Formats: sequence, structure tokens, C-alpha cells
Amino acid sequence: MDFSPLNEALVSKSYLKIADILDELMLQAASEGVAYQDDWPYSIHLLGHIIADDINSARFLWKSMPGVVKESVAEVAAIWRIGQQLWLRDYAAVHEAVRGFDWSAEVRDLVLAFSGKLYTKRIFQLLLSAYSTISIGDTARFLGMTEEDAANYAQLQGWIMDPASGMLTVTKQPVVKEQKLDSSKLQRLTEYVFHLEH
Amino acid sequence: MESAEAMIAHIQGLSSTPEDLAHLHNLLKQSEDSLESQAPNLGPLLTQLDPSKHSLGYLYILEACASATWGEQENELVSTIAKFIDSCVTEQIRLAPEKFVSVCRKLKDETMQLQMPIRGVAPLRTAVRKLQPTSEHLTTLHPDFLVLCLLAKCYKAGLSILEDDIVEVEQPRDLFLYCYYGGMICIGLKRFRKALELLYYVITSPMSSMNAIAVESYKKYILVSLIHNGQFSNFPKYTSSVISRNQKNFCQYYNELATSYASGKISELQACLETYREKFETDNNVGLVKQVVSSLYKRNIQRLTQMYLTLSLQDIANTVQLNTTKEAEMHVLQMIQDGEIFATINQKDGMVSFHEDPEQYKSCEMIEHIDSSIQRIMALSRKVTAMDEQISSDPIYLAKIGRERQRFDLEDFDTVPQKFHM
Repeated sequence: MDFSPLNEALVSKSYLKIADILDELMLQAASEGVAYQDDWPYSIHLLGHIIADDINSARFLWKSMPGVVKESVAEVAAIWRIGQQLWLRDYAAVHEAVRGFDWSAEVRDLVLAFSGKLYTKRIFQLLLSAYSTISIGDTARFLGMTEEDAANYAQLQGWIMDPASGMLTVTKQPVVKEQKLDSSKLQRLTEYVFHLEH
Repeated sequence: MESAEAMIAHIQGLSSTPEDLAHLHNLLKQSEDSLESQAPNLGPLLTQLDPSKHSLGYLYILEACASATWGEQENELVSTIAKFIDSCVTEQIRLAPEKFVSVCRKLKDETMQLQMPIRGVAPLRTAVRKLQPTSEHLTTLHPDFLVLCLLAKCYKAGLSILEDDIVEVEQPRDLFLYCYYGGMICIGLKRFRKALELLYYVITSPMSSMNAIAVESYKKYILVSLIHNGQFSNFPKYTSSVISRNQKNFCQYYNELATSYASGKISELQACLETYREKFETDNNVGLVKQVVSSLYKRNIQRLTQMYLTLSLQDIANTVQLNTTKEAEMHVLQMIQDGEIFATINQKDGMVSFHEDPEQYKSCEMIEHIDSSIQRIMALSRKVTAMDEQISSDPIYLAKIGRERQRFDLEDFDTVPQKFHM
């Protein structure tokens, strides 16, 4: 089997593409009648879906795996534990699942890319949009950090800490959205309205 | 009757120009019977042909071959068909669509028999694309492809054809199955809006008698509609009367579920689930029913956002029947994450404040979105106008309308009010 597209994506760290690449390779291999199951990179495939925030596909991939793989390859099962916690939206348990396994070298980079950057950022954005005040303890659990690290991380983003109550006050940054329109769009909208009125 | 060897020679010689192909097609049609009788011996002949050049001839021989029993060599047959679908020339196979469909069906059946549905997913996806003249055409292979996606749990692969807007349909059954399986794929991927759209097509299609596909679609439609919209409203007037007359017999417990959902009480909904659990199980819908139950919490929270500006987590927990404030907080958080409500949680005071949708409809992204929607609607409206013109000038339609008008006129004199007919 030719895994060069996967390897390219791994080398260039285009992790978001992994799931699509492997989905396609799997369909091709299957249609050619190759017995791909035995040495399929299930861990990476599963992680690819998780990184792409596509838990549904991760779940279906897990379901379609041969029972032998699920039982005998501990790493695949460990990755699925991350997926399960994401599925259940147990935010803190996701970090525990990430920390709870000694990942092999080729998987470690991906797991770290997910938990270190993507997931923490995603959750921080969520906290930012959902809370006006939140306890340091909860922030730490959500972000999978120690309380001290979490407090520092939040303060770096402009949040204000009140040590007495153990609360962080969330400071929302105004989201800057591109609002400039080029004249061709305006022209088109004008035409629509004109069209509708006549 | 020609010998198989002569046939091969013809195929090799007549596979380039359209005229040659038409001639070859005639020859092939004439020798169909003889091909069939020699089916068991045709396998080796295929190796003398190149599927990417002699597609039409290859197709005829392959189809004859495939109809023979393959026993232990199923594997080989599946590979041969898969390779053929991949390399065949579109123009040639469209000359004999029914043969092509038959070969693809064989592939589907065999992969299912071998319990390896995934082997057929990529080939059938290619087959659909090669068979359809445009992406607006529904082929009879669409449902087959979707079934394999479902069985192989390759839901995402199925989406590729579900994104097309279908306008041309030949067989109603194809459309029914396409929409039903497509609905299931979208449900699996939690694309509930698209799922509702597809199931809606099944239920509101014209039909003269009840069919199992419509019944199952109806059940799923109710569930998905509760999950996604928080309510289930009746279907439009043009829905076939077959549906409204029969749904009570087939789907009464789903209607009851919808009624208890509307009460807003979790306990009532739970009780309904327990009462009919067995029935939901036989329908394979328990998972969806459970999603219905958990969506009721959301629905109730959503209702609160319309009544209050701020509310304590304790009050939320009490009103929506959650045990702890933490649970209430997590529900609110998830809903914010999914963009279902706009709110901020204040942990310090244990309060939640609800907001209006902050979208101001003036960002570039939004304009882009509105613009593309308008474009789509305009294209759709052009299409509807064209269809309308086509139908209103259709002789069969006009003849029927002419007859019906007469009948209606007579009925106007009927003294019995119409509602007693129902």
C-alpha cells in the first residue's frame, strides 16, 4: 500500500488532512481487495478524525474496526478513550485520557498537536464565550492544567484574577470581523433588489 | 450464433468510433443468448480485452460471466468488476446502462455476501458518477451505494452524493430508497436538517398505496424533528392521503411520544419511552428516542431564554428537572458551544444571563452567505418555472386536466358537503 500522501501530510504537519487521506486510501485498498486491516494505521486514522473535530466519523471508524484490533492494540483503545470523552463532552476527562497513556513516538506528535494546541485553544475560546466569571479550579480542569498554570494562562489573555474568591473574571476581546465590502457585491445586491421590485 | 473468439475479435475491432460502437452494440445484443449459454467459459476471454478501451464489449461479457455461479471465486469476480468500473469509458457504458447496473448490483450483492461491504463503496461511488448524465440525475445505483456506505460505516463517503440537488428521477422507488438511506446517513452524522429534508421528500411524495419505506421514514421524521426543531408539525396538504389515513395504524406510539414531548415534562417523556420501549427496539430507533429525551432538556432551557434575562443556575436546574446546579451549568455550556443559545455563565453569583443573537448581518462572511443563498434560490426558481412550463404543455397532463374539470363541475351540484366524503 502506498502511504506517501499520509507521510507527506505528517511531515508537513497538515494534520487536518489526515482523516480524509486515510478515508480515501482505505476505500481504495478495500476495493482492490487488499487485506488492509492487519496493518492499517488505525491509531493515526482515529486521531485524524478527532483532530478534524469529527467525532461522528471517529465513532463509526471505531465501530467498523475488527474486534482483534480493538482488543489487542492498546494504543487504539486509548485513543478511542479520548474520543469517548469528547463524545460525552467530559471536558476534563479528555485531558486525563490524553495523559493516561504512554504514546508511541509516531502517535505522540499527533496527540500533542491535538491536546496541546487545538483542544486547549478550542476550550479556551468556549470559556471565553460562555463565562463572565469562572473559578480557577474549573478553569484548570477545563484546560487540563494545574491551577497555577491555568491562572497564568488566563491572565496572559487579559483575564483578571481575584485571589480572595478564587475567581477569574473573563475579559472578552472584541471580535474583529471583516466588514468592508467591495463595490461589486453591493452592485449585485442592488441588482437583486431592483429585480425583485420590478 | 458466433463463436466467442469471433466475438472477441469484433469487440477488439469495433471499439473506437461511435459508428463502430453502434454496430458492435447490435452484434452484442444479437449474441446475448449465446453469451449467456457460454457464461462459465467466458472468464478467460476477459483477459484478452482492455476494459478502458473495449468497455462496451467487456461489459456484455462481464455481465454474462457474473450471472454464472462463482462459488469460491467470488473474490476474483469482485475485483474484476471493481477494476472494470474504475477503468471503463463513460460513453461506452452509457450505451448499455441496464447491463452496467446489473454488473454493479452483482458487485454490491457479492460484497455483502462476503461481509465486506466496504469493498464496494469506492467502485459504486465511481459507478454512480459514470452512469449519471449530470449530478442532478438520480440513478438506480444511488440507493445501492448508500446501503453499502451504511453497512460499511463509511457515512462520510455517502455525503458526497447527498450534497447534489436531485431534479431528475426515473423510478419513484429509487427516490424513496435514496432519501431514506440518505436520511439515515445524515442522522448518523448528526446533520439533522439535511436528514429532515430527505425524509420529508419520502413522506410527501405522491403515492397510491402505503409502503414500508414511507412508514419507516415517517417514524424517523418525527424523532429527528423533535430533536432538531423541538416539535413535530403536520405535513402539508399535498401529502398523499395514504399517509394521513394510515399513520395512526403504523406510528401511533411515535405520535404519542411527540405529544408527551410537547408537555415539556421529562418524566412523562421517560414514561412514554418505557411503555413503548420494545416497539422502539424493534424499529431500531431506541438511540434516536434517547436523543429525543436529552433534547428536551435543551428545549426547556431554550424556552427559559425567551422568558428571562437572567436566571440562577439553581432555578434552571429546578425548572428543567436537573439534579444539580453543576448539571445545569454543563447543559448551558454545551448549548452555548453548539450555538443553540447565547448566554454567559457567572459562576461567582451562580447566575446565567441570556442574550440576543449577536449576529449583526453586516460582516463580509454573512453577505457572502446571503449572496450564495439568493443565487441558489434564483437558480431553483428558474428550474421550477421551466418545469411548470414543461408540464403545462404536456399533452397527457392537459388531457387529464380536461377530463377532471368536467368531473369537478358535476360535483359542484352534489348536495352532500365535501367533508362527509372524508
